[in-house]
Amino acid sequence: VLTRRFFVKGSALVMAGSGSVPFWLGRAAAATQGKRKTLVAIFQRGAADGLNVVAPFGDKRYAELRPTIGVGAPGKPQGAIDLDGFFGLHSQLEGLKPLWDKQQLAIVEATGSPDPSRSHFDAQDFMESGTPGAKGDGWLNRALGPPTAETSPLRAVSMGAQLPRTLRGDRSAIAVADVQQFRMNDDTASIMESMYSNSRDKQLEGAGKDAFAAMKMIQALNRGQYTPANNAQYGQGGELGRALQQVARLIKADAGVEAAFAEIGGWDHHQNEPNQMFGLLRQFGSALAAFCQDMGDRMEDIVLVTMSEFGRTAQENGDQGTDHGHGDLMMVLGGPVRGGKVYGKWPGLEKEQLYEGRDLAVTTDFRAVLSELVSGHLGQTNLSQVFPGYKCGEPLGLLRT
Amino acid sequence: MMRPVLTAAAATLLAASLPHGGTAAGPFDVKLSQDQQIVHALNRLTFGPRPGDVDEVRRMGVEKWIELQLHPDRIPQNPVLDARLKPLETLHMDVAEMLKTYYPLNPPGIIRFTPLNELLSQDQMRKVLNGTAEERRAGLEALAAEKRWQVLATVPPNVLEGLPDLQQDAVEAKKKQQEERMMEMRKLRPPLNELLAPEQLQIAQRGTREQREALFNSLDAAKRRLVAGVMAPQSLTDFPEMRRLGSIVRAPRQVPTEDLREAKLYRAVYSNRQLEEVLTDFWFNHFNVFEGKGQPEQMTLASYENDAIRPHVFGHFKDLLLATARHPAMLHYLDNWTSLGGDVFQVGPFAPGSGLGSFISRQAHGLNENYGRELMELHTLGVNGGYTQEDVIAVARCFTGWTIRQPNTQPEFVFAAFMHDTGEKTVLGHRIAPGGGEQDGLTVIDILAHHPSTARFISKSLAQRFVADDPPAVLVDKMAKTFLKTDGDLRAVMETMFTSREFFSEGAWQSKMKSPLEMVASAVRATGAETADSFMLVQKVADMGEPLYGKLEPTGYKDSAETWLSTANVISRIGFANALGAGQVPGVKVDPAKWAVNDPSKFVARDPAEIAHDLLGRSASPQTLSAIDRGIEGKPATPGMIVGLVISSPEFQRR
Repeated sequence: VLTRRFFVKGSALVMAGSGSVPFWLGRAAAATQGKRKTLVAIFQRGAADGLNVVAPFGDKRYAELRPTIGVGAPGKPQGAIDLDGFFGLHSQLEGLKPLWDKQQLAIVEATGSPDPSRSHFDAQDFMESGTPGAKGDGWLNRALGPPTAETSPLRAVSMGAQLPRTLRGDRSAIAVADVQQFRMNDDTASIMESMYSNSRDKQLEGAGKDAFAAMKMIQALNRGQYTPANNAQYGQGGELGRALQQVARLIKADAGVEAAFAEIGGWDHHQNEPNQMFGLLRQFGSALAAFCQDMGDRMEDIVLVTMSEFGRTAQENGDQGTDHGHGDLMMVLGGPVRGGKVYGKWPGLEKEQLYEGRDLAVTTDFRAVLSELVSGHLGQTNLSQVFPGYKCGEPLGLLRT
Repeated sequence: MMRPVLTAAAATLLAASLPHGGTAAGPFDVKLSQDQQIVHALNRLTFGPRPGDVDEVRRMGVEKWIELQLHPDRIPQNPVLDARLKPLETLHMDVAEMLKTYYPLNPPGIIRFTPLNELLSQDQMRKVLNGTAEERRAGLEALAAEKRWQVLATVPPNVLEGLPDLQQDAVEAKKKQQEERMMEMRKLRPPLNELLAPEQLQIAQRGTREQREALFNSLDAAKRRLVAGVMAPQSLTDFPEMRRLGSIVRAPRQVPTEDLREAKLYRAVYSNRQLEEVLTDFWFNHFNVFEGKGQPEQMTLASYENDAIRPHVFGHFKDLLLATARHPAMLHYLDNWTSLGGDVFQVGPFAPGSGLGSFISRQAHGLNENYGRELMELHTLGVNGGYTQEDVIAVARCFTGWTIRQPNTQPEFVFAAFMHDTGEKTVLGHRIAPGGGEQDGLTVIDILAHHPSTARFISKSLAQRFVADDPPAVLVDKMAKTFLKTDGDLRAVMETMFTSREFFSEGAWQSKMKSPLEMVASAVRATGAETADSFMLVQKVADMGEPLYGKLEPTGYKDSAETWLSTANVISRIGFANALGAGQVPGVKVDPAKWAVNDPSKFVARDPAEIAHDLLGRSASPQTLSAIDRGIEGKPATPGMIVGLVISSPEFQRR
């Protein structure tokens, strides 16, 4: 919680710098008036093999299509963790099972884009833009409302050295590689702030302005070590775990985070998939589980959503791997989520049911999932601004109302 | 002096505000002044001007200087570079030698964690991990005491949910395990105070350079290794060989990649053949291979860069493409080495029961599309270059049999006829007759290397690197024409680009943001700094989000400003710049004396405007100068501080 102490320290710092209390500090203080709703987007880069993340063991074609790499039925060695008698989590996602049981985890099956691209890079750009077939600014940036007096400079944060397309756009959004190192000596900071904020170089002026506002706030509220709550263990979560721990830290400091982004790469398993998936899913599952555990009751204000640019071929390829496919799945986690349920229509795995005879078909547009979260959780009702050209159908009912 | 500044700022603004390079008269039609042309050429063909470069190019004439950079064999190499590269022995080491030194079977000093699946049988795993609370308790309590401790120290916390007494035990077990590890580590790698006598320790930590040198030389080889292994790398940057030895002791397998990374920085900073280095970096990124995929990449990446990329950057695109296609680094990275014809597994030599138990047969039993797709999408045609999923499959089939003899011990290209799909294929409308064998792949290379989409895609990528993020279509057309006319002669394509009106135009001037590597290398070059150990510079590039040889995806890093316009990037660039100015980047020595006023009694900076002009090769903007002036008002500013501020400025982030 932001305290008076923070306010005093923060303003002292700023006074020493530029000689006046800038607008953001007033805003930051005001932001403590109410807790924020936060939407966390997690991108699995490289096209995650959804069929081995949540295995449709109840579909008899599944084992036939994947004789050597398929996830076994529940009860088999390293078998799936049964969810509903048809779908099961990969054994390394055991950390997510308690969330499923608490009904804080929902799975949406056969999601994806109407665009047929099997290029990672186009498909990522399309998905991050929220506009299949076209590249532009990010959907999560457009999901944010116009800045007001309460808007924090940390309203949209990404963990990593570069700002992902998902968060690029008109609203200020910042990239933080490491909260601990997002700092600068005061004298330098004040000179650089004045240099960048007066620059005629519009691109750098914008990035600089956001950087200094965010840096001052982070420096002010971020002192000392961070200890996760509820004995949450981020240790097995790899890069994603480290990123989510920093998101947790900012949210808990009431920094006014509305949108956060983190990513986990390495899903392009053209070969030797079972071994690679084992470690990667372990990281993925334990990072998500640790975050939820750490946030505790605050999960009531948080929704996480996972996505990947497309799924992979239903049939395994020649290298105990899978090639680029189409339909995939998304996970939605959080207090407001109506979890413990698999959403979406299962298209089946028979040859004639597969997209182009080879990939899981898409029955739910990824924008349908994101639309519900953007409107239901972030309160952005102008969906045509977030997903231009997209018409929402019947809602899936992912969130409690 | 004010005029060019304003023109420059106006041009940047214009370039930024125009969405596309115009075809009508626009910024790409406005010619740069002679002085601007010199700075521009240096900024684009090199990793940034060094002190004196502007004068040298002026003396020689820009055109002649460009011509020289296009023919690096006519440029004598910098002996400093050779000296820096010499100790990085893995750069030119053969695989057998590398295996012996850098891939020991049991690396000393590594304590392995026993994973859960080695501690428990599958049956036990299931009970302990997935059972009900009672089953989990029963599973854990059934284990022998010693093993139970190990398991408790390893399992994730949710396994112990609802079992509070065992949670207690787990805390103890973790502590115990930690202590055991510490003990073991201490034995393997004794701390410095056990390795050295107190007075030696004093010298090792705080001695002068000479004292430390004498100390390190006095140690016998075994002790030297141990000392190198426990000393912080940052504290050894005056002794790069000692620092490298520490890496060999701690993590020998990482050394080949570290050598390559450090070499990249040395080459960028010191090479006289700057365009060759810029191009080697560009083409490596175009044909990206990720060092972290596996041992074959780590062992062969230096050869990939030196044998497949570098010799062809001024040659014909087809040769470059073929060299990458056949290199074990690429064959492994994009999985082609295990791809084989659909029938081969059923009836061929790998058929179950055939008795052929090679490494490949355990992994491969069918087609892998990965290389076929990226070859067209990223290496040649471009994503909209006009190929279909059928073409992807056909190309993948053509390349079946292009494999590696043995990835971890004999990583070399071999064509394995028995893996090849011998059927007929159709690639982009060309029929490829059955039975072509290895020739199929060569035919595909030929088709792709001469395709108009490739000519455009390659021309556009080059123009994006050298001219502008969104280069004018007219220029790309001109370059593509040259490409097609000259059988993909890359030197000719670049000549077309460098002599074009668009290259020396206001639209191109300062329109490119520097990539992390360009930022770091150009800062070192601009200050005339010397680096005898580039490993911290390598780290700075990684901090800005683009670890060298570390891009996992085959796209390589994107070459446009929006990638680098993040808050984190601004902060880390400013942080690096000020550390460099202050002489606080270990391994890098800046001599700020030349920016001090000519009065030996005071170490005070000259006029910031002059310093800025020195470092930028042009005047800084009035906004930047006034921010510096106001910031140092009333305080004596050291030269290093001003240098740091100038390198932090928005202007220095552009090239």
